Amino acid sequence: MRRIVIALRVFFATLFRAQVAREVERVLSGIGQPTPAEAPRAPKPEPKKPRAPVRSDAVTLLATLQREARFVDFVKEPLDAYSDAQIGAVARDVHRDCGRVLDRLFALQPIVTEEDGTEIDVPAGFDAGRYRLTGNVAGEPPFRGPLRHHGWEATRLELPSWSGSAAAARTVAPVEVELK
Amino acid sequence: MTARYVLGIDLGTTNSVLAYTSLEEEEPRVELLPIPQLVAAGTVESRTALPSFVYLASEHEAGGGSYDLEWAADRDFAVGELARRQAAEVPDRTVGAAKSWLCHSRVDRHQPILPWNAPDEVGKISPVTASRRYLEHLIGTWEAAFPEAPVAEQHVVLTVPASFDASARELTREAALAAGLPEGLVLLEEPQAAVYSWLAATGDRWRRQLSVGNTLLVCDVGGGTTDLSLVAVAEQDGELGLERMAVGNHLLVGGDNMDLALAHHAAGIFAEKGVALDPWQSVALWHSCRNAKESLLAPEGPEKQSIAVLGRGSKLIGGTVSIEVDRQAVGQLLVEGFFPRCAVSDKPARRRASGFREIGLPFESDTAVTRHLAAFLQAHGREGPVCPSHLLFNGGVFKADLLRDRLLDVFRDWFGEASAPHLLSDVHDLDHAVAQGAAYYGWAKQRGGVRIRGGTARAYYVGIETAGLAVPGTPRPLRAVCVVPMGMEEGTQTDVPSEEIGLVVGEPAQFRFFTSSTRKHDKPGDVLTRWSDEELVETDSLEAELSADEAIEDAYVPVRFQPRVTELGMLELWCVSTKSDGRWKLEFSVREDAEVD
Repeated sequence: MRRIVIALRVFFATLFRAQVAREVERVLSGIGQPTPAEAPRAPKPEPKKPRAPVRSDAVTLLATLQREARFVDFVKEPLDAYSDAQIGAVARDVHRDCGRVLDRLFALQPIVTEEDGTEIDVPAGFDAGRYRLTGNVAGEPPFRGPLRHHGWEATRLELPSWSGSAAAARTVAPVEVELK
Repeated sequence: MTARYVLGIDLGTTNSVLAYTSLEEEEPRVELLPIPQLVAAGTVESRTALPSFVYLASEHEAGGGSYDLEWAADRDFAVGELARRQAAEVPDRTVGAAKSWLCHSRVDRHQPILPWNAPDEVGKISPVTASRRYLEHLIGTWEAAFPEAPVAEQHVVLTVPASFDASARELTREAALAAGLPEGLVLLEEPQAAVYSWLAATGDRWRRQLSVGNTLLVCDVGGGTTDLSLVAVAEQDGELGLERMAVGNHLLVGGDNMDLALAHHAAGIFAEKGVALDPWQSVALWHSCRNAKESLLAPEGPEKQSIAVLGRGSKLIGGTVSIEVDRQAVGQLLVEGFFPRCAVSDKPARRRASGFREIGLPFESDTAVTRHLAAFLQAHGREGPVCPSHLLFNGGVFKADLLRDRLLDVFRDWFGEASAPHLLSDVHDLDHAVAQGAAYYGWAKQRGGVRIRGGTARAYYVGIETAGLAVPGTPRPLRAVCVVPMGMEEGTQTDVPSEEIGLVVGEPAQFRFFTSSTRKHDKPGDVLTRWSDEELVETDSLEAELSADEAIEDAYVPVRFQPRVTELGMLELWCVSTKSDGRWKLEFSVREDAEVD
């Protein structure tokens, strides 16, 4: 029964999708030929092109912030010539769109939920990467003191994946040309 | 092959969503499938919705695998977010609103006509192909995420607007099967899916919120369309059950119109300041307005809000122009423009007839959702308008509190404070409710649970020319024979008691085909000799051909009609010979007057 279903799917997919048709032709032309001994190790067909170089996640993030929020344009533009009102008008949009990108990719959350100024405990064996102590740092943990900053942490990491060329691996924003 | 999952697919006008639930669990737990899609050339990101746009890349752009996905190499088109962004800047290569074209019977929807009015060098595609590509993308995503559960072996529920007629449903199904969805695919009306989503969120408590005799109005205002349905609460086998009573006409008015209206308003203010916006800025303004709309329509929003059109080039701040819009003026514009107070006896303004009509989508000439709603309630009441007892909102437009409040006010004006409909607690996610409801329905269909009964949403009529002396220059008078009554249930068939109709052997027989969403008392065989344009709407014609080799001796065969609604909710119309046991299925035919340039 399952094979009938597969056969039907292959039939329709071959009929409607050129790429599937090519693949099927390739598979069919291979039927009957002796299988090389090492075949089970690599059942997937080799991709036609060598795999594109991987781009740094930092560039991907910058490109995303630029594409969706014009972040790089905003930071790279000298502010001297503009009034606060002009900057403010742009900042609202850039601020909102940057926030959306950060929420979507990182789902940023405060590390602790208490209000600033409330006394909190720093447990023994705390991770210096998660807690930063200031003021009179002495004695043995657990420590106790007022919260000065609740911290931020990424509760999600969903950066876009990238498959472009080596030449474009450091492109943060492409050149834009309008054709008339 | 046993299905392990139910997939609910919302193939929307502007966004498509896939929700799923496992059939192996005791309680349905509906999840959204993250959909990886191109957001820029060579860049793939997952989103919960797939914008329903296709970008047809030129051959120079397509090389180098910039549009490839994990499961698709050598692509020369892109679906989703990248295509949506391109829609603004490369309109001639971007297809949008394919779904609205799908139910537009004045064009041939199998022909490559989209993007509408695009130059010839663009390899245009048909509305059916565009829909197929969105579905292929969803299927590709599913199979990459669940390689052990191929789509063809799962239960799939695909939603369509309640206002889709039989031919638009047929085309949707055709696109779905071509994309690789299983034959057992079920089509579910979107407002019903919204109700299922509410049922899923409410659980068994729904029986305490609704009682026998209640009428629920589902008001679904999406990006491009407004879809209305009435659902009655009735007793079925000693239990509370739901029954879909009526659906509205296909209304091409929605949230996109509101964004555009706001953008026009803002462009007027820019013009007063002496700023003329170029096409790119106009589109950017439209997007800014979409963002500003929600906060402007929030009850405690700011009195004034700035709307900026960011500079195009790398000089961001220098090129930015901005204006302040007044909250009250915007509220006035959107609330009065789309949800004006009106009398329940009002009718939407009709387009003034003119000799010329631009082909293209038949957008509503009256954007007042409230007037369309009034006409819908009037059309379905016995004496006076229907007064629904409960109200369910769906669609992103109702995220704006001001619009929800206005609609509730209008109901109070119409029916008085005491009998105005009660708003069902809105626990569902307005953007994803339809897909989630579809998945929940699929689960309930397999595992048991409350279901909405309904049958066909419309009555259908075949046009028959009367025999008689021909008068030169005058078409023969036309009669409409009811073949499918409203509410014909799934899995039933009936014989239409009518005069015999002669089908000529070896020649295609064409029948004009009409539908009505208001004539609920017509029975199969009833003959109408006159009707108003609002009552009966002509749709794609039907065709049957009796090939001459079927060993039929006579020149023509007398037949009667036999309609059938399949278990999957598809309408079929058969011609059954009255002399032999021959039968022929009528198929929707390409309209001769289909306008393709």
